[in-house]
Amino acid sequence: MEKAFIKKVQIGDAMDRVDARLKVSGAARYAAEYTLKSVVYGVLVTSTIAKGSIKEMDTRAAEKAPGVLAIINHKNAPKVPGHQAGTDNEGSRVYGQEFRLFYDNKIYHNDQPIALAIASTPEQAEHAASLIKVHYAQEKHQTNSKANTSNAITPARGKDYSRGTAYAFKNAPVNLELEYGTPIQVHNPMEPHATTAVWEGATKVTVYNKTQATKLSQQEIMKAFDLKEENVQAISPFVGGAFGSSSRVWPQEMAAIMGAKVTGKPVKVALKRDQVFNMVGYRPRSIQKIGIGATAEGILTGITHEAFTSTSQYEQFTERIVDPTKTLYNCPNLNTAYKLIPLDMSTPCWTRGPGETSGSFALESAMDELAYALNIDPLALRLKNYAPSDPEKNLPWSSNYLKECYQMGADRFGWNKRTPTPGSMRKDEWQVGMGMAAGIYKSERDAASAIATVLANGSVVVQSAVADVGPGSATIFTQIAADVLAMDVKQVTFEWGNSKLPKAPGQFGSHTTASVGSAIYEVCTLLKKKLQELAITMPNSELARAQQNDLVVEEGTVGLKNKQIQLSYADILKSHALPQVQVSTESKGGGPEQEKYSGKSFCANFVEVRVHSLTGEVRVNRVVSAVDCGRVVNKKTATSQVYGSITWGIGIALMEEAKLDHRYGRHLNNDLAEYHVPTCADVPPIEVLFVDKPDPVIDPMGAKGIGEIPLVGFSAAIANAVYHATGKRIRELPITPDKLL
Amino acid sequence: MTDHQPDDNNSEGLDESRRDFLKHSSLLTAMALTPSTVLKAASSQWDERLAGAFEKISLSLEVNGTKHSLAIEPRVTLLDLLREQLALTGTKKGCDYGQCGACTVHVDGRRVLACMSLAVMQEGRKVTTIEGLAGGDTLHPMQEAFVKHDGLQCGYCTPGQIMSAVACIREGHANSAEEIQEYMSGNLCRCGAYPNIVAAIMEVKKEGKKL
Amino acid sequence: MNNFQYIRTTSTKAAIDAVAKDPDARFIAGGTNLLDLMKRGIVSPEKLVDISRLPLNKIEREASGVRIGAMALNSEVAENAFIKEKFPLLAQALQAGASAQLRNMATVGGNILQRTRCHYFYDTSLPCNKREPGTGCGALEGNNHMHAIFGFSEKCIAVHPSDMCVALAALDATVLVSGPTGDRKIAFADFHRLPGDKPHVDTVLEKNELITAVTLPDSPFTKNVHYLKVRERASYAFALVSVAAGLQLENDTIQRACLAMGGVAHKPWRLASAEKALIGKKVTEATFRQAAEIAMQGAKSFEHNAYKLKLAPNAIVQALKTAAGIA
Repeated sequence: MEKAFIKKVQIGDAMDRVDARLKVSGAARYAAEYTLKSVVYGVLVTSTIAKGSIKEMDTRAAEKAPGVLAIINHKNAPKVPGHQAGTDNEGSRVYGQEFRLFYDNKIYHNDQPIALAIASTPEQAEHAASLIKVHYAQEKHQTNSKANTSNAITPARGKDYSRGTAYAFKNAPVNLELEYGTPIQVHNPMEPHATTAVWEGATKVTVYNKTQATKLSQQEIMKAFDLKEENVQAISPFVGGAFGSSSRVWPQEMAAIMGAKVTGKPVKVALKRDQVFNMVGYRPRSIQKIGIGATAEGILTGITHEAFTSTSQYEQFTERIVDPTKTLYNCPNLNTAYKLIPLDMSTPCWTRGPGETSGSFALESAMDELAYALNIDPLALRLKNYAPSDPEKNLPWSSNYLKECYQMGADRFGWNKRTPTPGSMRKDEWQVGMGMAAGIYKSERDAASAIATVLANGSVVVQSAVADVGPGSATIFTQIAADVLAMDVKQVTFEWGNSKLPKAPGQFGSHTTASVGSAIYEVCTLLKKKLQELAITMPNSELARAQQNDLVVEEGTVGLKNKQIQLSYADILKSHALPQVQVSTESKGGGPEQEKYSGKSFCANFVEVRVHSLTGEVRVNRVVSAVDCGRVVNKKTATSQVYGSITWGIGIALMEEAKLDHRYGRHLNNDLAEYHVPTCADVPPIEVLFVDKPDPVIDPMGAKGIGEIPLVGFSAAIANAVYHATGKRIRELPITPDKLL
Repeated sequence: MTDHQPDDNNSEGLDESRRDFLKHSSLLTAMALTPSTVLKAASSQWDERLAGAFEKISLSLEVNGTKHSLAIEPRVTLLDLLREQLALTGTKKGCDYGQCGACTVHVDGRRVLACMSLAVMQEGRKVTTIEGLAGGDTLHPMQEAFVKHDGLQCGYCTPGQIMSAVACIREGHANSAEEIQEYMSGNLCRCGAYPNIVAAIMEVKKEGKKL
Repeated sequence: MNNFQYIRTTSTKAAIDAVAKDPDARFIAGGTNLLDLMKRGIVSPEKLVDISRLPLNKIEREASGVRIGAMALNSEVAENAFIKEKFPLLAQALQAGASAQLRNMATVGGNILQRTRCHYFYDTSLPCNKREPGTGCGALEGNNHMHAIFGFSEKCIAVHPSDMCVALAALDATVLVSGPTGDRKIAFADFHRLPGDKPHVDTVLEKNELITAVTLPDSPFTKNVHYLKVRERASYAFALVSVAAGLQLENDTIQRACLAMGGVAHKPWRLASAEKALIGKKVTEATFRQAAEIAMQGAKSFEHNAYKLKLAPNAIVQALKTAAGIA
């Protein structure tokens, strides 16, 4: 057999994405793009009041409109067994009663889905939806967090935290008490949420849906419709961005499944852009108080962080808003409190760096304010308070190269060229400012499974149910498999994005590489061993007398170290007359060894901004982001992940804000012209520096999480730079021109 | 499942409906100019199929080099025509209001937004989508550059970015990173691939190939 | 969207006749605004008359000035060599608007007629006198961050969103219009209305009339011009405030000035008194500051747009400084 040219791929290589070709050629299919025979279209009708009930829904005109197959609402919707069962908080990811689509006539929030118009074409469905007339019994609603802090509740699943003396900051020689706020931010992935559902008989359903977690999606649908696992399939190989917004089952999925049940046809439901603002989660508004105290030398003696975020009336959505405060610095006295403000809004949802992003804005702004109060360089203040071990858990770090991040970042950025006085740096009409911030984010490993199969031709297929919503997981998993099996990456196929494949956790929480990557590492290691065994035991094997320890795998072969004998995987299978060899593994999550350590990723961001002295416009000149994410599995995709976080950080710091008119409890800027996300022109050159040292604990690749860490603290770095430029401290995001004039 | 497998070669259903359109097309052209008949058909709820057919009007256009003679409702956007009737789903629907650029296609060589274009208004025009940018199985130099520079993450804005990027160079607006940034600002990317997109465009521009 | 009837026309007369016959008919050209409004149920015409192929897309030099066909695309005008040379302020303003794709679709006539971006106008479940007369102005006591500081009424405080129109106002454009009874010319300053008691009427154009062209007289503002657009992101956003500024200088002395603002009123806001105040003055920041103060006379803000009272004069100063080359 002719020996193919082998391009050896290793963990760490900057390999192109395995799905790039599909994506650049338009061939990658997303949830609403499956050309299914006789597919019909569902359009959701949403409420125009924030609280009350539906008195009457006139669907007559809609039902008679051309092409209409069904109008579904609370009166005629198929019963959902899981909805009838009532509240079940056992093991639920959010405490409370999940939203039940078309369950009754109650309105819990504006833009609540209240009917589904199904027709043969998208235009007909859209038109039919517009003909539905609704009369409401309206009740007084509350959507304003600020006005409702007095109604805040302690979450059922939240605990206040304290170490040392609470409120010790008050007695510190230098202390500050500050209030910060962040607005509602909306994920706004470029692909609006969509699902195409197909029933086969009464017991089997397939959904092509937008999800970050095919297994979770499958399980939630099983539970809702009381179906068996083998009868529910969630297919989601391509997801047009999610950022946390596709980590639950949402109304569009439920609607498509109900619609398909009613019509007996595949039903496609895609949300309109305005519908993603108050139906499929958002980052809640936060109101935060920070008390911070230090000695005159800048040693922290006390921090108090009290946070409020908003939630719905039916669920208690909590996030990790005070977590960075607990662990980032070595402060002996620290207490945190967290309360929820229930509002007549839909439930928020995890949003990139959920909690940490808003919380770190307050913490890292406060650190900057403290640095000025102490007249100490902000970087020096952070170094003085470096935490040598996790001060919350009292555990050693699994690895911590935060100091290296500070050093690398400051050197590359030229932090020493910064003149400390606010307003002291200027270029023409622009005031120039430099700011920095640190970040910390959990780095964990969850259980995951994988299957690896070597085929007769020697190529390998690796499978996992994991989604890849953009980080490049499919690519690095291909890479890990090729690395372990020492073979050409082109001979490795990774299959993902289908709940039928081996179980994987959702692609969120920056733990996909550690969790699924470990499973793939393990399963490929098993396959390698199996191939070595087979090489030894094959009839007339040249390696018959070799021990496993003598054998190496190289270039898709099993052989001796001296390369005198090399048996290709294909030949090994051929000689055993095996069509394929398959191994599977169930990789454990954390485990007792890992529980001895605290796993975190770290970063230090350095930012230069310019602020126009007459117009108040802020532009980011440059960014240096230094990241400790353990070993970098793929430099190319990892760098892109950092770009992503920085771009998000720019949006959060400077422009993103969902505005409501509280009189009506409605979103005002619910489209992409008015809810500003950064454009190409908003994102400056970004220098990404990786420490790139393996973490010895979390997973065999040495990798830690990368998808969220660079965002933690980033908005504070910008706010700090704006302060340095102008002497104006903005504590309420976003930093728009009106606040700087 | 076999009934519902995705069908990449245009499902039979599509062809069938297209044959239906063609059958009616000459009649439809005439009918299109007599509004009262059409409105009457709709309001008095004649047989739905008939009424539906009356509301359609003929359209000839070329998509990726293939000529199409269709009968469509006037309210169908070019984007929905491509995605839902021609199974060309490479052109993406990100906002449907002309605010994100995901649906960027070339019409007679000009980059436009398919979501804000009525299909009937494209009579006789040549439409190029991401599927038709390169010939056959090869990739267009811009597609290659996007792969190389990782100018994509989730991939949803990518076809629009690429169509826009090609136009950006053709228009002569790719002379510096800053100019590219400004002229690519009509294509939002939520994943944050912008620096890589700019790098890809700069490289293709520098190569100086005719695009 | 309702399934409207569609008619393609090839002559201006046929187009006007087609619209005149039907009270629910509308012209469509680029469609970038009308289609948006139709998708959201803000307008629902029964008939669309396609005027995009009318032979009205030429950009022609005239004995004095230029005539820009109403169907000329925003990008065509912005890239036109003659416009760039003789009317650079217009080219700059066009370039600042929307995105490259939208500029390839939107026509000059459509840009002039584009409707406000006011949130209350856009959400059919909220009150808006412009969309539905008599329902009230949601913005008056609501979120009026983007709203007017000049020329509003208690019925409507929306602003006109165009960039191009700010330059056209500054450059003394004239709008050429054809209707069932013939042609007429409308000075640009008179074309857009202030809201008054009838905020649902944006312009003086009659329903059956069609904009055929815009003309600009020869302009002395070929060199010292600047279109400044202040927005909340670097590109592809509507203006908080924009300023079109042109100066004719002799040495350091201002001979003539043109000045208009966007994002501050229901129509492009010409700053005639400020222009006058600049004439004969030396180019200094103080001169510009003084003109800006004059320009701001009579400005009044609401709960969320008080920043515009500072931003607008600052923007005027900045635009003039850039135009004069002293920024």
